[in-house]
Amino acid sequence: MPDPASSDGLTLKGLSKRFGSFEAVTDVCLDVRRGEFLTLLGPSGSGKTSLLMMIAGFLDPSDGDIALDGQSIIRLPAEKRNFGMVFQGYALFPHMSVWQNIAYPLEVRKQPRAQIQSRVQEMLDLVQLTEFSDRLPRQLSGGQQQRVALARALSFNPQILLLDEPLGALDKKLRTDVQEQLKDLHRRVGATFIYVTHDQEEALSMSDRVVIMNHGKVVQVGAPNDLYERPETVFAANFLGKSNFLRGSVTAANGQTLSCVVAGADVHHRCNGAAPGVGELVTLALRPEKIDVAPLGDAPLSNGLQGTVSSLTYYGSNFTVTTEVAGFGSVTAEVGAWRNPHRFETGQTVDLSWQEDATVLVSEGTES
Amino acid sequence: MNGRSSMGWCFGRAGAWLVLLFLVLPALIALPVSLTPERYLSVPKDSMSLRHYANLFSSDEWISSIFQSLVIACGAAILATVLGTLCAIGLWRISTRFSEAIRALLLLPLIIPPIISAMAFYRVWVKLGLLDSYLGMIIAHAILAAPMVLITVSAALANFDPKLEQASRNLGAALPTTLRRVIFPSIRPGILAGAVFAFILSWDEIVVTLFIAKFRVFTLPRRMWDGIRENTDPTVAAAAVVLIVVTLTALLLSVLLSRGRAPAAETKET
Repeated sequence: MPDPASSDGLTLKGLSKRFGSFEAVTDVCLDVRRGEFLTLLGPSGSGKTSLLMMIAGFLDPSDGDIALDGQSIIRLPAEKRNFGMVFQGYALFPHMSVWQNIAYPLEVRKQPRAQIQSRVQEMLDLVQLTEFSDRLPRQLSGGQQQRVALARALSFNPQILLLDEPLGALDKKLRTDVQEQLKDLHRRVGATFIYVTHDQEEALSMSDRVVIMNHGKVVQVGAPNDLYERPETVFAANFLGKSNFLRGSVTAANGQTLSCVVAGADVHHRCNGAAPGVGELVTLALRPEKIDVAPLGDAPLSNGLQGTVSSLTYYGSNFTVTTEVAGFGSVTAEVGAWRNPHRFETGQTVDLSWQEDATVLVSEGTES
Repeated sequence: MNGRSSMGWCFGRAGAWLVLLFLVLPALIALPVSLTPERYLSVPKDSMSLRHYANLFSSDEWISSIFQSLVIACGAAILATVLGTLCAIGLWRISTRFSEAIRALLLLPLIIPPIISAMAFYRVWVKLGLLDSYLGMIIAHAILAAPMVLITVSAALANFDPKLEQASRNLGAALPTTLRRVIFPSIRPGILAGAVFAFILSWDEIVVTLFIAKFRVFTLPRRMWDGIRENTDPTVAAAAVVLIVVTLTALLLSVLLSRGRAPAAETKET
């Protein structure tokens, strides 16, 4: 049954890339919707950059197809694809001024002089660099260079903009500002953005959808909120944010609520989907911020563990409490710093508790 | 300890100057000799004279030789630069183990003893009818000099960011435009340096010239060679000074040109 929506936008079908015996990208299938902000997220070596290079036309796929609006573009050379790209390190032409860099794609397309003039001015306004138009790239700061690269990649109105870790060279404070600007730019130009990064915060804050990759394969695709709240694998739960993993065998399944024994304690979990049967080994992912930490109470915990505080790390807005749970290992919890009623010290025994719906059932496999 | 190390530094400095003098002095000896007032090769004692320079620049034979050398050196430099640059770019783009083997092969003209190249040129040029002609000289010198250009342009390309080429193609420029507007401007210092080296190589080349030039082509080094053999006219020393001055000027030019493109200290703003 042909899906009419799938012919609109960019479609990757079974895309693979091998370098000798090494598989950089394995059988990637993906529909990129027109106008969306899609992030390819993965650790280095996960194949995300190879995937981007294949879309840009700099790398020939070993297998599979790339189609734009239903038309295969696999035989189209990079210079004919009409995709803008912001490179890692920007790749601005060092011998050309800001103005010349932005005008380059328009001159190559032999647009009339007056049209180039007005378009470059428009782009300079968009990235607020009008007064720097005569500067050479090396006379600009990293953030300004990044904006020139954006203006250059967008000046010829590409349908798709590819971004390869464009914020990698910027310091943390500037990075947050540029994230805002990028999002704003995406809203205004309406092009499809395909963004490669290994930074999970960038992925969460900017994207419409995130594609988590590992070992050349797609691990999970979804909206940031979906991926964060409902990771399917240990890898996804740990790469996008942090997680504790509770492993144990199911002792009782009562409707949608499972009980299992972890480190001698009963832990309850409310399932969303099909519940595993009694006796099965399960892994539950638990986000640090969903754990309540309290001094050792009198009443037995309904859903939780007891641990000994091994370290406290302060982050300003919050701090993390790392505890050792006897017979299990370490469990990390995150606690707000402001007006927290409790004071913790290392060596202290504490109650760790959480709601039944705080845990997520994940599979162990790191690959799909 | 400080004293000892500064003494060692002094010795090192003195040694460096000695080596430098050892290298440069033989070349510079031509300068005083060219200023001798005598009619034979000698170092001037009481007085100096520019008579040999006057002779050099008033003699039709010497002027013609300087002119011929300039024409051949310029022609060879242009030809070698075009060939060497295209070759370097080609090898850079292919960049496989095979192309590296080809690169080593292409550097052979620099390694083969000149006398062997000279004999080879002679044999082939006889067949092609290129003996004793400008074209023959230019082609032979260009073949000798092209590896120099290959080396300097390859060095420039090694520093060239391949992402710039990708960026250019991504922005819609096919290879010819990318070459002209992005790659050439970035490797221009390497091309210029190669051209200067090629010019210098041809400008003072003598071994191959002796084999393939006869009556019509009389380059400056060849005129000097004949001058030394036939008589000990100090005009040869004056010619040697001209040779050195032109060579140094070419070198200086290449240094200035490459410095002009290097980033000067500039203000950086946030």
